Amino acid sequence: MPTTTDPETDRRAEAGTHDRFGRLVLAEWTKLRTVPRWIMTLAAVVGLMALAALIDTSDQGGDVAEGEPLQEPGFTDNFHFVHQPLTGDGTIVAHVVSQEDSHEWAKAGLMVKARLEVGAPYAAVLVTPDHGVRMQWGFEHDVAGSENGAAPRWLRLTRSGDVVTGYESADARNWQQVGEVDLDDLPSTVEVGLFVASPDAVVIKRQYGSNFVNETPTRGEAVFDNVSVEADGSSPSPADGEWSDYDSADEPDFGGSSTESDGVFTVMGSGDIAEVRRPFGDDLVELSLSGAAVGMLAAAALGALFMTAEFKRGMIRTTFAASPGRGRVLAAKAIVLGGATFAAGLVASVIAFLVSEATLRHTSRDPGLPELSLANLTVLRAVVGTAVLIALVAVLSLAVATIVRHTALAIPLVVLPLLVPSLVEGGLPLSVENWLTRLTPAAGFAVQQTITRYDTAIAPLVGLGVLAAYVAVALAVATLLLRRRDA
Amino acid sequence: MPRRAPRLRRAVQAEWTKLRTVPSLPWLLAVAVGLTVLGSAGALASVDTSQCPAPSECFEDTTKLSLTGIWLGQAAVVVLGVLAMGSEYGTGTIGSTLAATPSRRLVLLAKAVAVSAVALVAGVLGVLGSLAAGRAILPGNGFTSANGYEPLSLADGPTLRAAAGTVLYLGLVALLSLGVATAVRDTAGAITGVLLLLYAFPIVAGLVSDPAWQRRLARYGPMEAGLSIQNTTRLDDLPIAPWPGLGVLATYAGVALLSGLMLFQVRDA
Repeated sequence: MPTTTDPETDRRAEAGTHDRFGRLVLAEWTKLRTVPRWIMTLAAVVGLMALAALIDTSDQGGDVAEGEPLQEPGFTDNFHFVHQPLTGDGTIVAHVVSQEDSHEWAKAGLMVKARLEVGAPYAAVLVTPDHGVRMQWGFEHDVAGSENGAAPRWLRLTRSGDVVTGYESADARNWQQVGEVDLDDLPSTVEVGLFVASPDAVVIKRQYGSNFVNETPTRGEAVFDNVSVEADGSSPSPADGEWSDYDSADEPDFGGSSTESDGVFTVMGSGDIAEVRRPFGDDLVELSLSGAAVGMLAAAALGALFMTAEFKRGMIRTTFAASPGRGRVLAAKAIVLGGATFAAGLVASVIAFLVSEATLRHTSRDPGLPELSLANLTVLRAVVGTAVLIALVAVLSLAVATIVRHTALAIPLVVLPLLVPSLVEGGLPLSVENWLTRLTPAAGFAVQQTITRYDTAIAPLVGLGVLAAYVAVALAVATLLLRRRDA
Repeated sequence: MPRRAPRLRRAVQAEWTKLRTVPSLPWLLAVAVGLTVLGSAGALASVDTSQCPAPSECFEDTTKLSLTGIWLGQAAVVVLGVLAMGSEYGTGTIGSTLAATPSRRLVLLAKAVAVSAVALVAGVLGVLGSLAAGRAILPGNGFTSANGYEPLSLADGPTLRAAAGTVLYLGLVALLSLGVATAVRDTAGAITGVLLLLYAFPIVAGLVSDPAWQRRLARYGPMEAGLSIQNTTRLDDLPIAPWPGLGVLATYAGVALLSGLMLFQVRDA
C-alpha cells in the first residue's frame, strides 16, 4: 500500500511537536466525548431547558382580560405645562428656585412643544432632584447636564429653525450648553413654557411574609421666577404674552395647576414624559430562558465530574505524568468544558427561545404580545448570554471540584448560591433579595433580562461579570492548590 | 421472625459505624446545623416591622420566618443521604457490605435508620438554634408582644408542630436522598437529581403563568409541600395543609426508597 500523505495528519503531527497545549486540549476533549454519560449530560442541558420553556410559557388559561393589551403605547406624555405660543425663533429663560423632592426623577424645567397634544414632538431642559440637569426629547433621548445641578438653577432653551438648544447656568451669566437637537418639521409657531412632572412611585410594603408592590402617583411642585420669553429680532411674537395652562395628567385626582404672582410661578404636576417603563411587565425572553436554572444543574454536575473522575480513578497521575504543567491541564480542561457547555447551552437557549415563542404565539390570548426575534440585539444578548452563563457555571464547578476534590461537595457548593436567591424571591424584603442577587454567583442570571423592572437588581452584563469574577477567583485558587497538593 | 431483630440491630450498628467514622460526618453535621441557623438568622435580621404598613399589620408568620434556614441546611443532609449509599459504590465497599449482610433489604433498612437518625439530630439542633435566633432577633426588629407577636415558644401548639415537622422534614430529605442514590448508584447523578427535585423544581414551577397551576405545582413539589409544615398562621390559604404537605414529601421519599430497593435487589452490586 502506498504511503499516503494526508495533509491533516501532517498538520496534526506538526501541531503535536510545536503546540503541546493544543495537544493537551485535544486530549481533554477526547476524555470528554468518549464518556457516554457526559455526552448525555450535555444533552440533558438542552432537554431540560426546552422542557422548562415549554412549561413556563404555555398559557394555562391565565386571567388576561380579553382585548386588554399588555403592551402599552411606547411613551407616556403626562405633565403640567404653563405655556404661550412662540412664532419663529426665540428663547425662553427661567430660574428654577426650588423643586419638591417628590420622586428621584421628578422633572421641572422648560419645554418647546410642537402642539398641545399627547405625543407631539418636544424638547426640554429640566432639573431633577437626584439626577441633575437633563436635556430630553423624543421620549427616549436623555442627555445629562451637570450632575449636581438640582434647583436652584437657571435654564435656557432656544429655538432656531428646527434646532432646539438647552443651556444651564448657576448665575445666569456663564451658560453651559446641555444638549442640542434637530426636531424635524417643527411648525413655525410652537408652544414654549414651564413644565412640571413627577412619575409614579413604586411603593413596597411587607405583609403576610411577602412583598406587596404598588404604584402610586406623585405630585411634583416647583417654583420659577425671572421667566422671560423673547422672540428673535424680526420675527413677530407676543413676547410677554398671556400664559395658559395645559395638563395631560392621566390620573384625574392628580391633575396639575399653577399660580403666578409678581412673576413667581408655582407649578404642580404629575406624570412623566418618557419612554414607557413597564416596572411590572413580564420579561418574556427571561421567562423563555428560565430553564437555565435547571439546565445549569446538569452543567455543574458535568463540570465537577470532569475533574473528580480523574481523582477518583487515579487517572490524574497519568494526566500529570503526560503533562506536568498542572495549571495548563486545568486550563485545557476549562477550555474544553467551557466550549462544550457553551455549545450545548447555545443550542439549548436557542431551542428554548424558539419553543417558547411558538408556544406563546399559539396559546396566549394577549393581543399585545410584543414581537420578539433572535435578530433583536437585546434578545440575542439574552440568548447567547445564557449559553455563556451555563459555560461559566460548568467551569466554576470544575474549579470548585478541583479545590474540594469531592463531587458530592462540589455540586451543592456551586449550585446552592446560584439557586437560593431565586428561591427566596418574594419571601424576604426586596432590598435584601437584590443584594443577595448582586453578591452571589446568581448575579449571572441577570444576563437574561431584557426589560428593566421595579425589582431589577443588577445590569445584565455587570451580573454576568460578577459570575465571571467568581469563576476567575475559583480557577486561581484551584490552580494554586493543584500545584501545591499531591495528586 | 424472632431472629430478625438482632440481625437488624447488627446491620444498623454496622451502618452506624460506617457513617460515624466517615471523616466528613462531623463536618456535614456542623454545616447542616450551621447553615440552618445562619440562614434563619439572616432571614430574621432582614425583616423589620418598619417595612410593613404598621407594626401590627405585618401578619408575619414569625415561626416560619425563624425556620427559613432549612432551605440551606437541607443541602448538607442531601449530601449525607446520598453519600451513605453513593460512596459504597464509588469505592466498591458495597461488595463487602453485602458479603457481611446478604439481605439487601436489611442493608437499605439499616442505612435508612442510621442516616435518618443523623438527619434528625441535625434537625433538632438546627431547629432549636433557629428558634433561639428568632427569640433573640425578632423583638429588636419590632416583633414584640406590644405589636401582637408573642415570643416564639415550643409550648405553643402550631410552633411545636412547625418545629417538630421541620425536624421530620430533614429526616425525610435524608431518606429521599438515600433512595435516589440507591436507585442511580452514582453520587453525582443522585446529588444533582435530588437538588433538581428540591430546588430547581420550585423555581420553574413558580414561573408558570396561571395561579391555579402554580398552586397545583406547589402542592406536589417535595420541598414546597414538605415545608408547608412550617406555617403557623393562615393555614386556610396554603396550597396544601401542613401534615398532608409533609405526607407528599414522605411519599416522594417512600417511592424513592422502594424503587431503590427494587433495583438494589435485582441488580448486581
